[in-house]
This record gives sequence, C-alpha cells and structure tokens, in this order.
Amino acid sequence: MSVRQPTPVPDPIGSYGAKIDGRERISGAALFVADLKLPRMVHAKFVRSTRAHARIVRIHLDAALAIPGVVGHCVGEELPRRYGVIPVAQDETALAVGKVRYIGEPVVCIAALDPETAHRACEAVRVEYEDIEAILTIEAALDPARPTIHEYARKPSNILRRVHQNYGNVDAGFAEAAVVLEENFDYPGSTHVALESHAALARVEPDGKLTLWSSTQNPHYVHRDVARVLGLRDQDVRLIKPAVGAGYGGKCDPFCSDICASHLARKLGRPVRIVLEREEVFLAHRGRHPTRMWLKMGFSAEGRITAVDFKAWADGGAYASYGVVTSYYLGVFMPLPYQLENYRFESHRLYTNKPPCGPKRGHGAIQPRFALEVLLDRAAGRLGLDPAAMRRDNCVEANSETCNGLRVTSVGIQACIDAVVQASGYTERRGKLGPGRGLGIATSAYMCGALHPIYQNEMPHSTVQIKIDRSGEVVVYSGTADVGQGSNHMLAGLVAHRLGLHPADIRVLEGDTSLTPVDLGSYSSRVTFMAGNAALLAVNPLRERIVAAVAEKLGCDPAEVSFGRPGHADRGDGPRVGTDTSDVSWVDAVWLAEEKSGPLVNAGGYTPPKIGSRFRRQSVGPSPAYSFTAQVAEVVVDEETGMVAVERIWVAHDCGRVLNLAVVEGQIEGCVYMGVGEALCEEQRYLPGGLIRAPSILEYKLPTVHESPEVTVFAIESHDPEGPLGAKEAGEGPQLSTVPAIANAIFDASGVWLHQPPFTPERVLRALDARARGGPP
Amino acid sequence: MLPLPRFSWEAPDRLPDLVRLAAEPGARLVAGGTDLLPSMKHRIFRPGTLVSTRRVPELRTLRVGADHSLSLGAALSLRELARHAEVRTHFPSLALALGSVATPTIQGMATLGGNLMLDTRCMYYNQPSGWRAALGGCLKCEGTLCHVAPRGAGCYAAHSADTVPVLMLLGATAVFATPNGELPIAVGELYPEDGREGPRCPPGAVLVRVEVPAPQRAVAFRKLRQRAAIDYGLLLTAVAPTPEGWEAVISAVAPQPIRVAAPTREALADAVHKAVQPLPTHQQASTWRKRMLRVEVARALASLPA
Repeated sequence: MSVRQPTPVPDPIGSYGAKIDGRERISGAALFVADLKLPRMVHAKFVRSTRAHARIVRIHLDAALAIPGVVGHCVGEELPRRYGVIPVAQDETALAVGKVRYIGEPVVCIAALDPETAHRACEAVRVEYEDIEAILTIEAALDPARPTIHEYARKPSNILRRVHQNYGNVDAGFAEAAVVLEENFDYPGSTHVALESHAALARVEPDGKLTLWSSTQNPHYVHRDVARVLGLRDQDVRLIKPAVGAGYGGKCDPFCSDICASHLARKLGRPVRIVLEREEVFLAHRGRHPTRMWLKMGFSAEGRITAVDFKAWADGGAYASYGVVTSYYLGVFMPLPYQLENYRFESHRLYTNKPPCGPKRGHGAIQPRFALEVLLDRAAGRLGLDPAAMRRDNCVEANSETCNGLRVTSVGIQACIDAVVQASGYTERRGKLGPGRGLGIATSAYMCGALHPIYQNEMPHSTVQIKIDRSGEVVVYSGTADVGQGSNHMLAGLVAHRLGLHPADIRVLEGDTSLTPVDLGSYSSRVTFMAGNAALLAVNPLRERIVAAVAEKLGCDPAEVSFGRPGHADRGDGPRVGTDTSDVSWVDAVWLAEEKSGPLVNAGGYTPPKIGSRFRRQSVGPSPAYSFTAQVAEVVVDEETGMVAVERIWVAHDCGRVLNLAVVEGQIEGCVYMGVGEALCEEQRYLPGGLIRAPSILEYKLPTVHESPEVTVFAIESHDPEGPLGAKEAGEGPQLSTVPAIANAIFDASGVWLHQPPFTPERVLRALDARARGGPP
Repeated sequence: MLPLPRFSWEAPDRLPDLVRLAAEPGARLVAGGTDLLPSMKHRIFRPGTLVSTRRVPELRTLRVGADHSLSLGAALSLRELARHAEVRTHFPSLALALGSVATPTIQGMATLGGNLMLDTRCMYYNQPSGWRAALGGCLKCEGTLCHVAPRGAGCYAAHSADTVPVLMLLGATAVFATPNGELPIAVGELYPEDGREGPRCPPGAVLVRVEVPAPQRAVAFRKLRQRAAIDYGLLLTAVAPTPEGWEAVISAVAPQPIRVAAPTREALADAVHKAVQPLPTHQQASTWRKRMLRVEVARALASLPA
C-alpha cells in the first residue's frame, strides 16, 4: 500500500474549480421563494388593467370577495406612497392609484387559501375605466399636445429625461474628416426571461417586524422601498434573498409582489406568498428600451475617428424604473474602447403606455454600440481598410482619460482583438467565404460598477464581514445577491486564496439584510469589483493576525509563514500553516490567533476612489475600471428564406484577472447567447393598442440549443491595479459586441446592411430585395 | 405558474367505459395533455371532468400488417411511434413529422390521437384569459370579432397538427369508437372549414386508432418554423407524386389543411402559391410565410427521388 503524497492546497484563483453552490443548483436542492412554505400561508394574485391609459372609475369587488377561500385583498389607495430605486424618479405604486398606465398594470391584489381560488377571484373583479388617449409611440411621447402619463414633475411631460453632452469640437471634427457617414438605427425592446419568475413571501414576526423573502438582485433597494411604502422603519424590515433563478437586470426593482405580499401579511396577520405567472413576468418587464437612434461619424483617410454625433430616443414604458440612468448610459460609454476627441450626444428617455423598461444586461450601452460598430464597418469598407485593423488603431490606451472624463486604468482591448482575429482567421477569410457565409467583428467596453451611488451618500458601496471560528470554519457575510452569476464562489475563492483553504471550505451567507452588511446589489457589473475588494479588505487583517500568532508559536519570521501547506505523509492532507521546517494545522493556527488577539471577526468596506473629473455633470457613467471585449461571428445567410444561422462566435474578454475560469467562461457564453437572441429572434412587441403580443416563452422566441452557436472564449488578463487581485467584470460587457458582430457578418455574407435587429427572415429578405433592385446595400 | 382550473379525473381501462364517460356533460378527453392543459390554464377550456385515454388497451396497440400497413393506437406517444422501426423504414416522412412536434420531452407525453384532434391555433386565441379580456375576446372565444380578418366570414385559426399533412397523403383513416360501433373517417375529412369548431369528432365518439395503408409512394415533409425545436409550424408542407402528376398538402395556414394538385413537379409550387393565402394568425409576418410557400414546396420536392 502506497502512502498518499500530501499536496499543497491548490490556489483556486484562475482555476476551473466547481462553484461552491453548483451542486445544490443542479440537484434541485436549492430553495427558491416558490419552494418556501410557512404555516397558515395564503396565496395572492393580481387583477390587472385591461386598458392602456384610463382613469379608474370604480372597482367592484363583492363577487370576488364572496368566493369561499378568499381571505383578503388590497387596492392602490392603501399603498399610495410612490417608490422607485432612482430618488429623482419615484413614480411607481404597487397597485394603480386613480389611473392605469399600461395594459397589465396591477390594480387589485387578492389573497386566498390556494392559487386557483385567488385566480378565480381575480377574474370575478370588475373594474370600470374611463379611457384617456394612450401614448404608444416615440412620436406621441414627444408631442406636447398629448396627455401626460405622469403628473408628478414640476413641468409634466412624457419626456422623463433629456441628456445633452458635448465634448471637444464635433463640427471641426467633421470638417477635417475624409469620410462622413450617418444612419438611422432602430434597436428593439426585449426582455430578460429569467428561468425563475419574480416571487415574494412575507411574514409578520411575533414582535411585529416584517420578514420578506424576495427573488431579487437588489436586496438593499427592495428593503428600503418596502419599508418606505409600508411606513415602517428600515430596521423593522428584514429582507432575505433565497436562491434566485437569474435576473439579467429584470429583478433590480422592487415589484408589486414584494410590496403587496408585505402589506397583505400585515393586514391579514398571516404569511402571504406571491409567485408571478410567466405572463406577468413579461408585464413586470424592465427590459431593454426600444431605441431609435441617429448616428453620424467622421473618419480620416487612415481610419481615425474624427467626430461622433449621436441622438437617441428610448421608448421607456409607463414608469421610470432606472430610466434616468438609461438616458446617460445611452451616451457615456460611446468614447470607449476607441479614442474620441470630438463627441456629442443627446438622449431622451420617454414615457409611453406600455410595461416599463429598465436595466437589461448591457443596460443602455447595447443599442448605441450596435449603431457605432456597424457604422465603423461601413466606414472601413468605404476607406478600403481592414475593419479589425482599423479598430485596433483607434483603441484607447491604458492609464488614459476619455474625452468625456472617464478615467481608464487597465486596457486589454488590443489583446482581445488579436485573439479573435487570429482564432477566426478573420483577416484571411473575410470576404472570401463565398455567397451566403461571412465573418464580422465588433468590439466594446463596459463598466465595473458605478463610481457614484444611486442615492447620495459617502458610505462604502459594499461591506463584507468575515468570522473565523475556533472550529476552523470560515464564514463570509455579504449583502450581495448571487442570482446564479457566481458571486458566492467569487467571495469564497478570494478568501480561500488568502487563507490557503479550498473554496468549498468557506461558507458564504449573503443577501439577508439583518444578517449581512450592506452591498448595493447585483447591477452595473459591480459585485466582483466592489464586494471582491471588500472581501480582501476583510480577510487580510485576519490573515496577518494568524501569521503573527503562528510565527510566535513556531519562533520564526512572520514573512516565512505561508498558508495551504501540505499535510504530513502519515496524517494526510493539509491545509497547514507555517514554514518549510515546521507548521501547525489550520485549526491550531486559528486557536493560536484567537488566543493571542481575540475573536477572529473583521469587516472590510469598499468605497470607490474619488476621481475628479473635468466635467462636473458627469456623475453617471464613471466606473473604477472598464472591461473590454472583441468578438468575431461567422454566419450563414439562406438567401431564399432570409434565415440567418450564427455558426460560431469567437469572443475575447478582458476581465482583468480570471478568478474562476469556469464562471468567467460561463458568463461570457451567457452574454453571447443572449446577444444571439437579440440578433436573431427576440423582441418584445405590442399590438397597436398597447397589448403585448406574445407574453409566453412559446411565442417570445429565445434561441434553442439549435440556434446557439459554438462559442470559443478567450479570457484576457490585463491585471487592473484596483480590481480584487486585478479582476474586472465578465458578466455583462461581452454582450455588447455580439449583435453588431453578427450584423457585420451578415454584410460579409450577403452584402446587405441591417439597421434594425432582430435580423428576422423577412427583414433580411427585404434588404436582399432592395439590393437586387440596385438600391444601396 | 398559472394554476389549472379545478376538474375531476377519470381513467377507465375499458373502451366502452371510455366512450360512455367521454359522452357525459362537461367531460373532455385527455391523452398526453400537452396542448389541452396549457389551454385549460389559459381558461380556454374549463371541463368539469377529464377522461384519460391512456389506460385503454385498444388505444395503446400498434399492429403492423404483412404489407407494412399500420394500425396505430391513438394513445401511443409520438416518441414511441417516431422511433418504431417499421415507421422509420417504411414511412420515413411520418417519422419525420412525428419527430418535428415541439420537443423530445413533449413527444414523450403527446399522443398521435392528441395530435390529430389538436384544436386550431391563433395568436389572438392561444393567450391567457387576462390577455383575451384586454382584447375583448375573439370570434373563436368570448368575443364577436375576428382580429385576423375583421371583415371575413368566419374564424381563420390555423390547423397546426404536424402529422396530418403526411397522413393525408398516405391515405390514413381515423377510426372512432361510438356506442353503435366503429366509425372510420378519412384523416383529411376531420377538419371543418371554420376554425371555431376544431376537429370533427362525431358525437359520443372516441378516436381509437389511425390506420395507414401499405406504403405506395414516397412522401416528403417539411415544417417551417423560426426555431428548430419547440415551435408550432409556420407552414406544414407534404408533397407526393400522384398517377396524374403531383400533389401537396399545406397546413398551418387555415382551419383545414389545403390539398393542391398540379400536373408537373415544376407547376406544383406555383399552384400552391396561388391556392394558399397565409393570414396573420401567427406572430411572424404572413407576407413572408406566403413567399416561403414556393420555397418549402420546392425543397420538399427536392428531397424526393427524381
């Protein structure tokens, strides 16, 4: 029998190690809100508006409340306080108060002993409406003669926000250009389709305090808004985020389910659970803003971008959600990843009588990136330049500042371009694949969290607390919301890395406002950067205290002490702490440290650096770091049917440093698949009266496995100086360049430019017909 | 998740009991339930009793004749039929049609009888009850106006059963059990002109089996859809040679499958294009579906031996 050779604990950083919570997800053991049951729990459902824009005249509830099994209800007047995550645009109520603003808006909430009875009761409610002219298009929203959807602003209008910014001298930039191109683009609305629908379960505790379990990306903001609407102190509300089946931005807001479950639980004195039906998830929406765009770009003969002028009108639906932020994101990221000196944009975020749009993966930046990358390829064609080389020549450099004052630190964009160009054979193969097959390239950049918090404060954006118990257990407490993206594993990996442990030995408790310190939430790609840094700030002093205690015990220099050391041949594996000549077990090291310096508990808070900007108004957009992506798509266009097949995508993403390769690759692949959906088939459409056309995952077309290309991922490491161990985001940015890469590949395949995703067969055929008639491509 | 409305459940194991229970007021037959249960969740149907066909041996029997003719029990799953060696070898177009329904998991639940008796479909009809209420209903359900053709004469909800065009060209017969004995009806005769009615099931009758005569000619089948799985067809196309020339059956365009004949292979696509007018019953543009008629017929023909 051979003696097992003890090995050092492998460093999890950069490895392909399995996620610590992967097994509970794939085995079905993870508990989602819909799995939670409490004694005496009742189920609530919503009566929803059948009108796009109407005053509520009367609500007839008698027939519904007479149904056996119905236990209670609530209407909008009981919850009149308006809420919303963005302080300057709090315009929502959980149930319509006085008037309805879109078909499907919740009007009444009814609780019953079972969901079927609640559903039947909702059908028995009759609501009398008095119609108001509905605003359903961008033109109507811009027309000051039309009725306004909201009255709360000082000067009511259907323009929630107009942003206008101007950098350098755009007119001079166009004057010096060798080629000037301009084009109109229409980017469609789409929705997230997270596998788990929104859900909430509320209970009033014996002491009168409220506990709310919610399927949310943002426990902190939901916590604040639920307390605000219910008139409770924040400290009397506990929000727990159980396992969440993804969000993609769709669970960043507080929802009617959160507020009505909480209110009814207090009103009825029994737990209330609300699980939205799939149709209702399409109505809760907060998806991509349908955006009309006009873009004009100037280029020198060598392909340098001399000026960019951009206008956007975003059709935002009936409520603000994150729309104020959207209006900025539509413009502020345009000066990355290319060097721009002369840039101006004007964006509008509009109200219309449709389900509210909000943040969807790549929030606000997806639409302009599509326009810019397509126009860039057209310019390359006009100038006779290789599109990849032209992009490479325009790239920003590390440690620079953009024309709109974004501080840029690490930059891996050129390495990204090189990786996908080489892997795909772009330079040699483009234009030579014969009719119907083509290659296209696009690049992009995205943020790693916002420099400035959503509500004004100087506190840390993320706090992580770590407790190391004398049992040897390490517990990480974080207010983050792992919604499947892997933030729990990220935290465990960083802490395990510092303490020489396996990630699976780290217990992560997260997303519980009473148990865990505040993290602002899973949005704007902020969690790895901010919570990751907070975790390092929390663990590093604990590590130093263990080093000091072990060095004292072993009589060695603290600098010689290392972690994750192998065990001894006769006693199996480590981890052990010490030097090459003597060491102690991990548990002994913890004992020594606690004996020497007291409880091993520490918290770290991450606050973004104060970065001065030349532009005082630039408060939305700046980030502590930016990620970069390049991708090449290979497509086949069936010129008889107009059907486009995306066969392969090569994608390289500068994520700063890979903390876990499986998670990074998974996030990048997820971005690409979501981008393929937006390119080929996804669109949230409405009938002319404002009724959503396809509120089902049968008719809202997501790509199946057949439509999903083979994806080759390259993780590029630029080692950001401020990221946790150098890491940046990987879960959002890679989606930005997928749609334009596919559009550019369609041009290579069939010689037509498409300016309106999704590239459906009829749109492709229409473009091919126009080309056949001799029109412009 | 949309809750199902309440109903009671019967699962007889004798054919006479199935026929009797199915005839009772408020009863409805359920086989795989893959289409019926979503429609019940949408409150399109609110049957008091569901009567399951799955335990009745006559509906689960598959017989192969010496001449390779088939007798296929109505409650056999699409998957077991699509995988059956006789079906694959002698009726490859039927195997293809069976395997094109929805997804492999749904094919494991869904049945041949259920596919033949599939209700007609329309984007204004197959929607949740709250959606239909906002629309004010439609001619087929809860309303008086057809949103597909407001000035039209009736309901245009589309026949959408993937297996039917092929079965029609194979000359298949649906055999029903009634209190007075068996009643055979040619598959092509099952579908009325008005989409409101759905498949014609004689009163008190239960579909027991489908009889497919011995293979006589090659049949080609194509299903046009946006995605290669899950979706209902945007066009269902079956083509085959006849003694006089060629014929096609096109479905997913009207309440009935449409049979079109032409003297030559070359003329068939034009004849279909002339005879068939897709209407906006689907989410996808009907102009594109119209244009695809020629392409689908040509591609179906190309898949047959010359």
